[in-house]
Amino acid sequence: MTTGTTTTGVVRPAPSRPGREDVFRRQLARLGWGFTAPSLILIGAVTIFPILFSVIMSLSNVNVTGSGFQLSGVTGSNYSILIHSDLWRYALTFTIVYTVITVAVEVALGTLIALVLERLTVGRGWMMALLLIPWSMITVINATLWGYIYNPTYGVLDDILSHLGLGTPVVLGTPLPAIIALMVADIWKTTPFVAIIVLAGLVMLPQDLYEAAEVDGANGWRTFWRITFPLLRPTIALAVLFRVLQAFGLFDLPFVLTNGGPGHSTTSLAILGYNTMFANFDFGPGAAVATSTAVLVLIGCLVFLRVFRAQVGREG
Amino acid sequence: MRNRRRKGWRRVFNGVNLATLLVFLFIVLPLYWMIASSLKTQANVGATPPQYFPHPLSFENYHVAFTQYTFGTYILNSVIVAVVATVLVLVLGTFAGYALGRLPMRGKFALLVALLMISVFPEIAVVSPLYLLLRNLGWLNSYQALILPYAAFFLPFAIWILRNYFLGIPHEMEESARIDGASPVRTLWSIILPQAWPGLFTAGIFTFTACWTEFLMALTFNSSNNFRTIPVGVALFGSQFTVPYGVIFAASVVAVVPIGILVFVFRRSVVSGLTAGAVKG
Repeated sequence: MTTGTTTTGVVRPAPSRPGREDVFRRQLARLGWGFTAPSLILIGAVTIFPILFSVIMSLSNVNVTGSGFQLSGVTGSNYSILIHSDLWRYALTFTIVYTVITVAVEVALGTLIALVLERLTVGRGWMMALLLIPWSMITVINATLWGYIYNPTYGVLDDILSHLGLGTPVVLGTPLPAIIALMVADIWKTTPFVAIIVLAGLVMLPQDLYEAAEVDGANGWRTFWRITFPLLRPTIALAVLFRVLQAFGLFDLPFVLTNGGPGHSTTSLAILGYNTMFANFDFGPGAAVATSTAVLVLIGCLVFLRVFRAQVGREG
Repeated sequence: MRNRRRKGWRRVFNGVNLATLLVFLFIVLPLYWMIASSLKTQANVGATPPQYFPHPLSFENYHVAFTQYTFGTYILNSVIVAVVATVLVLVLGTFAGYALGRLPMRGKFALLVALLMISVFPEIAVVSPLYLLLRNLGWLNSYQALILPYAAFFLPFAIWILRNYFLGIPHEMEESARIDGASPVRTLWSIILPQAWPGLFTAGIFTFTACWTEFLMALTFNSSNNFRTIPVGVALFGSQFTVPYGVIFAASVVAVVPIGILVFVFRRSVVSGLTAGAVKG
């Protein structure tokens, strides 16, 4: 903008010398950093500094004493403990498999729900609001609720299964059913979140393409894969990114529902890190678990951003 | 467009409505089970076969949650932590979001991407160093032990939401305020903020919900009974062998209902916040 209007309506000329505008812009930029600084200081102190500290801890011998802690030496032993630990390898595999399966189911189911609700003519706002309730629910409470449903003596699931003649399994007592039970609780809570994001993307799609498809006689299935899905891909990608990162930090649900068991079958990386640090007070190896998880997340994030950006570029 | 008019029952029992009904039941049945169980007598919570409809209706569990257990304290702790952290986030986030949205700063975009990455970082990576730090400061089991980490962790997302709102406000009024000699802080306060309140609102609901539901840090930093927040209180209710489900559900209903109502009433803000990244990102 080169001219501005005062409240009295007098039009002022643009600043004649380019230097003045430059100075002004520099002032504004300085102001901008001034405005941003408090946030950056807080975020730096409470997130970036601890992350770096965690890396240092993972590379040294940590000795936690009654009142403080000591770091000594530089060592790779924490990581070698990790790599030779069957439990860490299991936790890594479990977390990856869990993330892939739950996110895949949630995205498929969430997209399906969004497609249904988009066609709904009455009460769509109410359904949207209903979808938000599982999302806003405290995960610990969600876990407790499902624990009650799965309870082997008075749980409602076993009662329903026995009425259907399927027996009364001890769901949380055997590894595979326990993992599935965990996934069901997760899917219940987070599928609505995916559905909302996809629905919001769906509503904004241009209508003329669908009219053209209808004129061409394309059926619903074809229309979805040829028009809806390609247009929705950035939206779905965003939902996937959020969900993958969240699922990779899986902690609350197994902590309450299974405590990592039976055996170690539902021990995620976060559960393992927590137990190593706060149950066994092994802060060195614990920091190695935490740091390796963070590095994996970071790599995943960067790969995703690259792929995602390339895809957006191709479409736009 | 796609809804052709049909006659009689076919209009009611079409695929879309039936599928919607399934979705509705999928979400509502577990919620029903929680509320119904909270209204059973303590003996009936563990009845076999389970009682599908609570009979007799009883508020015993609600009474016990607030008398025999200190659930009132947990709610108070959660409210204090969540409210203070949210206010802190909104104040800091407004300045940062305004600067990143409107002021000519170099390296703005890189900073925004870095913020986004921090906001999705796994908490487990920072819990142990923060724990040691807070322990050295003697801050374990205190409100600031949660307020500061929550504010820092949820600030990046709030900055993103606020920045997107500030970007959408027309520049003209700001220009004329500037020419009239208003200081930048004054311009932000009296010109920008009044137009940005929906954004503040959305960011506020998000931050509050995130603080209200956070578990790992609350469990690690504030485990003493006087400083437990609701999730920690619920997770550590009872002993390892007997879980007082009825009481927990009564407490859960009390914890879930206010935020549920908030989200329900302001669903438009929440949905626009959820999709803020999708639109502008």
